[in-house]
Amino acid sequence: MVATSHDVMPDIELYQPADEATALDLADRLGNEGWLLGGGQDTYGWLKDRNKTPSAMIELTQIDAWKGITENSDGSIEIGAVTTLTEIAKNPLVQSRYGLLAKAASIVASPQIRNVGTLGGNLVQDTRCWYYRRGLDCYRAGGNICYADSPEGLNREHALFGASRCVAVSPSDTAPALVALDATMVVSSSSGQREISAQDFFVGPDRDILHMTVLNEGEILTAVRIPNTWANAEFYWEKVADRNVWDFALVNIAAVFKTTGGTIEDSRIACGAVECVPRRLTEVESAIRGQARSESTANSVAEMATADARPLNYNNFKVPLMQNLVKRAIRG
Amino acid sequence: MAYMHIGKDFTPPDVPGKVTGRIKYAEDYTREGMVYARLLTSPIPHARVIDIDASEALAMDGVIGILTADDVYPDGEPQSTSLKILTNEPTLVGEPILALAAVDEKTAETAIAAISVTFERLPFVLDPLDSLQPDGADAYNGGNTFVFRQGFAGEKWTADQVASFRAGNEPTAEPQQTVAYGDLEASFGESSYVYEGTFTNAGYPHHSMEPRSALAYWEDGKLFLHGGSQSLTAFADGLAGIIGVPKEDFVFVNAATGGGFGQRARAGSVPVYGVPAKLSQKINRPVMMRVTREEEFTIGGARQGLTGWIKVGFKPDGVMAACDLWIVSDNGGKGGGADAYSAADCISVLYQADAVRFRGTAIGTNTAHRGAQRGPGQNQIAPIISPILDVAADELGVSRLEIRKINSAMTGDVGGPQRTPFTSAYMPEALEQAAAAFDWEGRQSRRRQTNGSKVVGLGIGQGYHNAGRSGMDGIVMMGADGRLKIHNGVGNLGTYSYASTSRAAAEVLQMPWESCDIITGRTDLHLPITSPQDGSNSIFTNTRTCYGAAQDMLTKMKEIAATDLGGDPADYDISNERVHQIADESVGYSYAEVAQRAMDLGGKFTGSAELPEELAEWTQIAVSRLAGTGFMGIFHDPRHEGNPPGFTVTACEIELDKETGKIDILEMVSIGEAGTIMHPKGMDNQLVGGAVWGIGLSAYERHLYDPQNGLPASTGYWQSKVPTYLDTPLKIETGWVDLPDPENPVGARGIGEPSMGSVSAALTAAITDALDGHIFGASPITADMIINHVAGTTEEAVPLAQNNFRG
Amino acid sequence: MNPKLTRRRFIKGVIASGAAATSTAAWYSATGQERPSGFVERLVRINVNGQVRNVDVEPQETLASTLRYKLGLTGTKLGCNRGECGACTVLVNDTPTYTCSVLTHSFKNDRIETVEGLESANGDLHPVQQAFVEELAPQYGYCTPGQVMSAVGLLRENPSPTRDEARHALAGNICRCGSYDSYLDGVMRAVELTG
Repeated sequence: MVATSHDVMPDIELYQPADEATALDLADRLGNEGWLLGGGQDTYGWLKDRNKTPSAMIELTQIDAWKGITENSDGSIEIGAVTTLTEIAKNPLVQSRYGLLAKAASIVASPQIRNVGTLGGNLVQDTRCWYYRRGLDCYRAGGNICYADSPEGLNREHALFGASRCVAVSPSDTAPALVALDATMVVSSSSGQREISAQDFFVGPDRDILHMTVLNEGEILTAVRIPNTWANAEFYWEKVADRNVWDFALVNIAAVFKTTGGTIEDSRIACGAVECVPRRLTEVESAIRGQARSESTANSVAEMATADARPLNYNNFKVPLMQNLVKRAIRG
Repeated sequence: MAYMHIGKDFTPPDVPGKVTGRIKYAEDYTREGMVYARLLTSPIPHARVIDIDASEALAMDGVIGILTADDVYPDGEPQSTSLKILTNEPTLVGEPILALAAVDEKTAETAIAAISVTFERLPFVLDPLDSLQPDGADAYNGGNTFVFRQGFAGEKWTADQVASFRAGNEPTAEPQQTVAYGDLEASFGESSYVYEGTFTNAGYPHHSMEPRSALAYWEDGKLFLHGGSQSLTAFADGLAGIIGVPKEDFVFVNAATGGGFGQRARAGSVPVYGVPAKLSQKINRPVMMRVTREEEFTIGGARQGLTGWIKVGFKPDGVMAACDLWIVSDNGGKGGGADAYSAADCISVLYQADAVRFRGTAIGTNTAHRGAQRGPGQNQIAPIISPILDVAADELGVSRLEIRKINSAMTGDVGGPQRTPFTSAYMPEALEQAAAAFDWEGRQSRRRQTNGSKVVGLGIGQGYHNAGRSGMDGIVMMGADGRLKIHNGVGNLGTYSYASTSRAAAEVLQMPWESCDIITGRTDLHLPITSPQDGSNSIFTNTRTCYGAAQDMLTKMKEIAATDLGGDPADYDISNERVHQIADESVGYSYAEVAQRAMDLGGKFTGSAELPEELAEWTQIAVSRLAGTGFMGIFHDPRHEGNPPGFTVTACEIELDKETGKIDILEMVSIGEAGTIMHPKGMDNQLVGGAVWGIGLSAYERHLYDPQNGLPASTGYWQSKVPTYLDTPLKIETGWVDLPDPENPVGARGIGEPSMGSVSAALTAAITDALDGHIFGASPITADMIINHVAGTTEEAVPLAQNNFRG
Repeated sequence: MNPKLTRRRFIKGVIASGAAATSTAAWYSATGQERPSGFVERLVRINVNGQVRNVDVEPQETLASTLRYKLGLTGTKLGCNRGECGACTVLVNDTPTYTCSVLTHSFKNDRIETVEGLESANGDLHPVQQAFVEELAPQYGYCTPGQVMSAVGLLRENPSPTRDEARHALAGNICRCGSYDSYLDGVMRAVELTG
């Protein structure tokens, strides 16, 4: 167990590739010894604490090709993975067409963190379970115990759904927004590129207890594509956290609706901080199809949203909170 | 009264350095040959060090040396719950075991990781009520409580007694302390509304922005130590004793301090400054010890958590007849405090109950050390008692403002179990002023109005802390340049009390502020003893000493002038930096001239003779070094009579969202009642700063330890939930009563602590109001608690538990 | 397998890739040894307060460390070293940035401004500093440099913010004294001074 409070950055290599090919080559060569560095806001704490000990950092933010927001001819947009959250929140195109994402990006952590923190970093950041971050030998750290899911564990901020040995949750604010917007993750490696739907990008502990995304060694999330399917749809975004700055969501919700004459034709709803992945509420989406976007519709499906919830010692409150957020999203 | 300085805004001399970054905090200094120390701290909540093997670390390149508890205490560690410089008997995770010095911090950290410490693990406990169980673990080696002058003791209840208390009933065990006045039974008998229930106040860390880093070096047999403190001379006086260096050989350098809030007032709270001092002595190099945020969590200490039972009775007209209070205090792994007693004292003062009984027991846990934190006790009870008053008011059909008015403390009243008279007290005026500024009556129509899921809550609350001491020393000096040098040992806490109290001296001598210098920031500038800067006392205590020292100089000026220029001292007055005859202003001396004459005359005029008796040893050293160097005014303050109170009243309007549990503070007004106001902007700062603390106490801040292994989880700002810009009101309106107190020469009293209590009281009352009078009996009240209450869900939390605040 | 050997092979492999890299192991110029092409110098030039400074910077060094311990710019404070408090905020190309949580090597081509660089050449305080003095915004003062830098960053982007815009812009700076109200008074006063 740690007997000192580590605070100084340890010796570690730093690579600053200026082009894609070099970065992908480095990622390939270094494998899990190479820490991919976006804005670094979920990096330096791990390194200072010496709870993660990669040999090198590969800084991705010098690569212009992976920065910025571009509009495609089909109306979709592509956001480079190392685009900062501040830039996304303030981008007129994102604001006007995908306000849901602008809002989610604008509420992450604090202004300074958004100024350097990147979209990619916000999506692939590690879970905030403090036992894990403290460097304890839990399942997610390669051990064989979960301290949070135990009779005495502190688990106010942990999962309602999808627990499998580990009960940590997805901390991202932009992830549920991108799941709701049906975005696609562009993943590159030296052997090529693959595209993964936002929903399939995140994985729970039942599939991979050591990682929170499908990224393999050597792969880099380089861009996010948002189809025009949901451009200018009706959006709902809300994050409930203890403090209004810095804190991760107790529960957040991202929802998109297409309505005609007040009737919901289609929708996508995702909640964060209730499961290891953004939780898509497909049953609720089905149930409200063809219904009015109204208080009574909202009330009729709220319990459905948490039907499978398995609260721990201290997170029962997330059940009514999640129901309430679903209601608020649907009633608009 | 028309003052020249009192009640006027000014710019304290250290403010420009704060906005330019030029002012230096301890870690900003360097010294040639300086090496860097880091701490090895206990990873185990309760243990005994069996062996330390540092051979590998000491062999590393760049490692200079280590310091252990055996070096510091060659004759064995003191056996008490006091903090130690280093220890082999840790009673909490993070307690310093040893320090290692190296050429740089990275080397020091790497080397520390190579030190092998063998611990014997001992049973640990995180909740006082668990420790009180018959088979409960004890936090200390020798018991779970420490009795002054008697030592460690084991305090145990029966399992039924613990269970009954957790179930919400009055404790039936024997308390360690009982204090009471009045006829409790008869007073409850007169009551037509009685509230009874249990409550918890979560302890929480100080988390001052500046960690307790320190630099130490020895030169010419003297120890120089750069550190942060709330007090300057009082702190240095104590620290010299802890380190074991003669007072005259100790120089404490402390120009600025990045936060104190109680635990940097007295050296006993920061013995860790002994680490660089002792290590520097051992390795003969200047040593910088940088303290990390995580270490600061432990070393900086925490507020006592209180677990209590309260019963309050009100007569039909709303008069508080009786209050019965039983509190189990969490003393943590080190230290302790009298928070619980102060809670009872506060109720007695603020509500003037006919009968009060306090019963208390303090129990250790293997958690961060405890001690004074902004309004220790007074402020924890504020969010507990305020909603009870409101529910009583509603039950009795009295307005919530009126129930506070009729129970108010006024001049002529007494307060506290000792029935101490107030020096003056203007609570009704403060209530009136707050109600008017907030439009309390007009806003009543908004009470509990709903807008969708949101509901409006209104709250009004009061804060109290005794706010003044006496018996300290003052020194002012003047040289041939005629400038007034005010030697002030208060310390730069950021309240600017060191500057505003100095202005009492300028006021006496009618000196333009530009002709005054405050001598402070390091003890080798020869500063008088002061009371530690805690307990909201500085304004009262040190205006008395500064005023007195200047009065002494004024008396001496008149005496010199009369002797030299004829007449009686009573024939002389001062104006425009001259002492002159009242009848003929042309006959007199400029201050520069009279100072020169004083130096010519020597003796009592330069501090070389006829010094006041009872000067503190610390002051005597300062005076002996100043004697003969200039014209001296010197004063030893006699004791004052009575309790100088600091009062505040806060009113606020909130919007509470019943679906998210979030609260938004829409309006807030805070009014201070602290006698004459010395420094309006300083007063405003104390009111708005106290407000943020009150919001933290009522709604956010917490202490989190893992019951499985005793590890702290709230070591940073994130998990301890220190409020931010967006959790506090956009604007806080402030004001003050500004009536003089007779026991202070300029009428002033302190305010720092009550400013927090009234906000906590008002905010909790507003939350209760928005939830139709639901009393949580807790601080803080967080979003999840509100959501659970509204939805009717419950958590499996252990009732009345400390240090695992809702997981 | 000998871990040292593995590591050496790993480094060698990366060197062969020709990527720009800085590393302790690659600090050749100090020792006068010939170094492989493609490495970025550990000796970097950074632009701080309008001056180009040559500094020996470790690869993993945070900007806060460089400023405080290499350049002696101790106005930038370390309150938490974890991006949770804001005391270390400086401007990088006018953007408020936590220096405890960025690497100096990332800013070789950027304009860094610390609290020490705000005063004019004749020593006049920056309007934000002047306003903070007038409003007695600081209490303990340890968070003040960070608050000043966030406020300066805001006023460059938005010279006439509302009080609410100001509090959102300063939201990434904790003040443990709770002087938020006074800092906001200061920002609004600065708007007047510059208006």
